[in-house]
Amino acid sequence: MEQNYFLLGTLVTPLVGAIVALVFAQSNRLQRSIGVLAGLIAWVFCTALLVQVHSSGVQIYALGNWQPPYGIVLVADALGGLFAFMVTTIMIGGLLYTFHSHDKCMTYPAFVPLFLLMEVGLIGAMLTGDLFTLFVFMELMVLASVSLTAISDDQYGLEAALKYILISSMGTLFLLLGIGALYATFGTLNMAEIAVTLVTGERPLLAPASAIMLLCAFLLKSAVFPFHFWQPDFHTTAPTPISAMLSSIVVKVGVYGIFRLVTLLFIEEAPLLERWLSTLGIIGILFGSLGALRTYNAKRMLAYSTFAQIGFILVGIGWGQPLALVGAIVYAFNHAFIKSSLLMLMGVVASFTTTKTANFADISGIGAKLPPTLGWLVLIGGLSLAGIPPLNGFISKLTLIQGGVEREDWANLIIMVAAGILTVMYMVRAWQRIFQQNPAPGTIDTKDEGDSLFAPFLLICVCLLLGTVLAEPMVQLISETVRQLGDPQIYISAVNLPSQGP
Amino acid sequence: MTEVLFALSIGILFGIGVFQLLRRDLIKAAIGFAILFSAINLFFVAAGAFEGDFAPYVSNVEAGRQTSDPLIQALILTAIVVSFGSFSLVLGFVNIISRRYDTVDSDDINKLKH
Repeated sequence: MEQNYFLLGTLVTPLVGAIVALVFAQSNRLQRSIGVLAGLIAWVFCTALLVQVHSSGVQIYALGNWQPPYGIVLVADALGGLFAFMVTTIMIGGLLYTFHSHDKCMTYPAFVPLFLLMEVGLIGAMLTGDLFTLFVFMELMVLASVSLTAISDDQYGLEAALKYILISSMGTLFLLLGIGALYATFGTLNMAEIAVTLVTGERPLLAPASAIMLLCAFLLKSAVFPFHFWQPDFHTTAPTPISAMLSSIVVKVGVYGIFRLVTLLFIEEAPLLERWLSTLGIIGILFGSLGALRTYNAKRMLAYSTFAQIGFILVGIGWGQPLALVGAIVYAFNHAFIKSSLLMLMGVVASFTTTKTANFADISGIGAKLPPTLGWLVLIGGLSLAGIPPLNGFISKLTLIQGGVEREDWANLIIMVAAGILTVMYMVRAWQRIFQQNPAPGTIDTKDEGDSLFAPFLLICVCLLLGTVLAEPMVQLISETVRQLGDPQIYISAVNLPSQGP
Repeated sequence: MTEVLFALSIGILFGIGVFQLLRRDLIKAAIGFAILFSAINLFFVAAGAFEGDFAPYVSNVEAGRQTSDPLIQALILTAIVVSFGSFSLVLGFVNIISRRYDTVDSDDINKLKH
């Protein structure tokens, strides 16, 4: 099997970028440029990788040329490539935001290297073909994001970071326990090799238990209902670009892991897992939408909204048939773009206030003193999140609901459409309170200069382009991805295990 | 017999770890976190400790003796590094929190609750 160097490049570029940025710790400006540059190069590699995956099949890279099953392999199949592409694209937005930001925490020499290490963790988790490496990359991502939140300008960042690291470590422990159980039963950690054994229908004692443990760990990473309580605090107190990344792509790592569980590893248990996922997703939709309605802070509202949107994706996975899976991936893709740009926009609004707060009581009516473009972008993003027709949220809701109609699951469909209306309510209400009212007496003073609008503007443009003009090629690309997911043999044969012949 | 002892000690360590993690004192919670990670590492040891009694990759392998699984050791080393990293990060956070809030009682560190 040929070694694919784009695959290695996607993973190594941000890592090298982090090291180089640490070397130039003296100059903050230079560090930020290195960050953006590393993000761009990783994006180019990842785009080339995605093109290759779709033109010539699954790409692998055996680290150190140790062939599987003995060595660690990086595998980019259609799903992993697509998710890594999403991560690198949005990461550019986040790194660009740091360029024109006035937050104090971004002047720390460790900020850009940690940001890039978070990208390494995200990309690595999505492109590895080895379960233990998946654990290491996930932990790298968690440690980097926790450190970034702890140094946030928000005074409660540290408290939220401690809360999250204790909870997340518990999740990590269960992930490790599940991986240990799989190793004890199958004697390998290569996902393809485990899948080969599982697909024969053989079920050793520990296999179903490890499926549950892995599922719980992934659910915790995506903040789904029983494991959600840390999420609004953690996502609200993080520095703006970090909270945009956390709420859009970091939660998608869990979604990616669940996709792998139900389509590659535990296909036989999938109906059982999917029933659970639907139920948890519906609870998430209800709780997240209602929580977003009655919260007191604009960023917190968006964090609750993420909770609901992940619920939509899980219900899509829970329906399980190809059309619903297409809906779930389109939804995950669109949500990542909209949510990251909306959180950055709210960060820009907060950066114009003297205390950098996004509490509705303090910022209602300050829109008159802000750049007018900001208000329109927030409105477009909000309507797009709710899925109003010409905007890109519509295409994701449409594909997902088609999947539900095919499955004839009317009760869940009604709840989902109703939650869409709730989304319109809380987004438009937030927009009105900030940009349409006259300044209230309690409103906080504004500064003349805030963060730049450039990064969120760029991300909104990209997502509008993807969701409207390029909607059809995108849905086709994702349908092709789901078709490949439906046949785990494509993934398994690409890894080229010796037991199966050349 | 060894398997039973291993299983018992993993279980006891897990119990102690979870109990400590749920304590109100954040330092005790951090220690519980370290104990939990040792429980997991012991679980990994148990996954490969009872097959083979001979060190792998040595030149003179004696006939009739099975080598032990080297991958387990590599995994545990990595897991120890990762857990050490998170443990020191937790301790660092607790240190700063104890100075900022003048307490390590998690009930009093509740500024996020509005």
